[in-house]
Amino acid sequence: MSIINTILNPVVELLPENNRLERIWKLAQVDFKKRYYNDKLGLLWALLNPASKIAIYYFVFSILMEDRRIENFALFLFAGLLLWMAFSECTNKAMGLIKSKKYLIENIQFNQIDLFISATISVFLGLGFNLIAYFFICLIMGLSLTWNVLYLVVILFNVFIICLGASLILATIGIYIKDIKHLWAIGLIAGFWTSGIFFEGELILEKFPAFVFINPFLGIIMNMRSISMYEQAPDFNILVINMIFGIVTFIVGIFVYKKFSHKAIELL
Amino acid sequence: MSEPVIKVENLNKTFFANQSSSIRNTLLRGMVKKNVSKKQILALENINFEVHKGEFFGIIGRNGSGKSTLLNILMGSIRADKGSQIISSGKMIRLALGMGFDPNLSARDNIYINGSILGLTFKEIGFLFDEIIDFAELNDFVDVAVKNFSSGMMSKLKFSIAIHAKADIFLMDEFFGGVGDVSFKKKSTEVFQNTFLDGRTILHVNHNLKLIEQHCTRVLVLDKGKQLFCGDVMDGIELYKNLYAKDVSKKLSKPAQPTK
Repeated sequence: MSIINTILNPVVELLPENNRLERIWKLAQVDFKKRYYNDKLGLLWALLNPASKIAIYYFVFSILMEDRRIENFALFLFAGLLLWMAFSECTNKAMGLIKSKKYLIENIQFNQIDLFISATISVFLGLGFNLIAYFFICLIMGLSLTWNVLYLVVILFNVFIICLGASLILATIGIYIKDIKHLWAIGLIAGFWTSGIFFEGELILEKFPAFVFINPFLGIIMNMRSISMYEQAPDFNILVINMIFGIVTFIVGIFVYKKFSHKAIELL
Repeated sequence: MSEPVIKVENLNKTFFANQSSSIRNTLLRGMVKKNVSKKQILALENINFEVHKGEFFGIIGRNGSGKSTLLNILMGSIRADKGSQIISSGKMIRLALGMGFDPNLSARDNIYINGSILGLTFKEIGFLFDEIIDFAELNDFVDVAVKNFSSGMMSKLKFSIAIHAKADIFLMDEFFGGVGDVSFKKKSTEVFQNTFLDGRTILHVNHNLKLIEQHCTRVLVLDKGKQLFCGDVMDGIELYKNLYAKDVSKKLSKPAQPTK
């Protein structure tokens, strides 16, 4: 608990003294903190969780199944999973966000998009811990990290705007159609298996090259592996496609939410 | 008289009941192309009023008369029907004792979140922090999760934060000092009336006519979504009391049907 505070509080000092930015940050921080609130180990769980996941994958795929087709399969899997999990968590959270933050919307005039920004930031704080665990284990497994890892910033930004845009679109649809949750659950499964998380994304690309335009995570996860596991630069064509996808999603999200969200409280 | 900070003209609000919102129903409606009987409820009808800077404006009406809907519309969380004109200048905040506390967070975190919601920067909250805790008499419980608080402690804390709110216009929803035990009730009412109300623009919804009479300069009377009156406090209260009297006499004059 207090560890989280000591790590996250100083960030406030870096922000300009601005009520809106502070509120976004505080809501994100608190949201993140709540997950580890009553636990003795607190923040340690944020690191233990991904580390134990990788250990389990390692045991199952490398020891039990002796799958040698892909080197370091546990890490290969986790590199994809951690980005995908962030996306699925963001979008699932977004659909209940207006309801859970109703008390704010009703009592104060502020930009409701702030809520979605802070929810996404809070998921990305979790992602940050996953990434720390991931890179730590990368080093333990003897992978060497090159300067290409710095592209991670670009990839994370890309994922962030996709998450935020998709959250806004889903939340807006959710206002009018309540059972979008079930439909989205199916969409998430489809997305999961077309992102090349359990296998190489190239397999999909060979048969259906168009998928790179449909599912941005296909390319994002391939690039993530390139920069962190294979000491390569990302595929720039794919990077640009993904970035355009992200920017379009983001703009559409903001536009749709601004235009159609005014019935949110009424239809709740 | 100064510029009005809130100006409402020809405000209407219709709610649609039976607004089904599942995929199945949406598809069905599209296929059948029949308007599934939409029940319209006119929650507010032709409301017109102005509130000026520094004014203490009361809104009274019985339950279901549209008071909360009106506040929601002013806050912008509900949109009024087309053709309604609402002009408001300045930042608005709604104060209600039901305001959000997250039970799993400590008093400290809740103060920061609520303070931020109420328009304070973290720096300002830092300055006010001890004052808020002192006033709420919660010095020993700063880092305790709010879910462990008694309801009295909770409302004390809420009040202590709320009086520091920074905004141009306050919408007060049944919020008026006097919470907690006897001593705190006295203290809070005093602070509220002596320092908080001073010079602020306030829209006040309350059932307590005594408070309305004491503080308000003008009053708006709503009944079943219609505006009955807007003007002098005493006349408004008189009218409001008559509403009840009329209803009671109606009930009395209609003897219960004997059952056969």
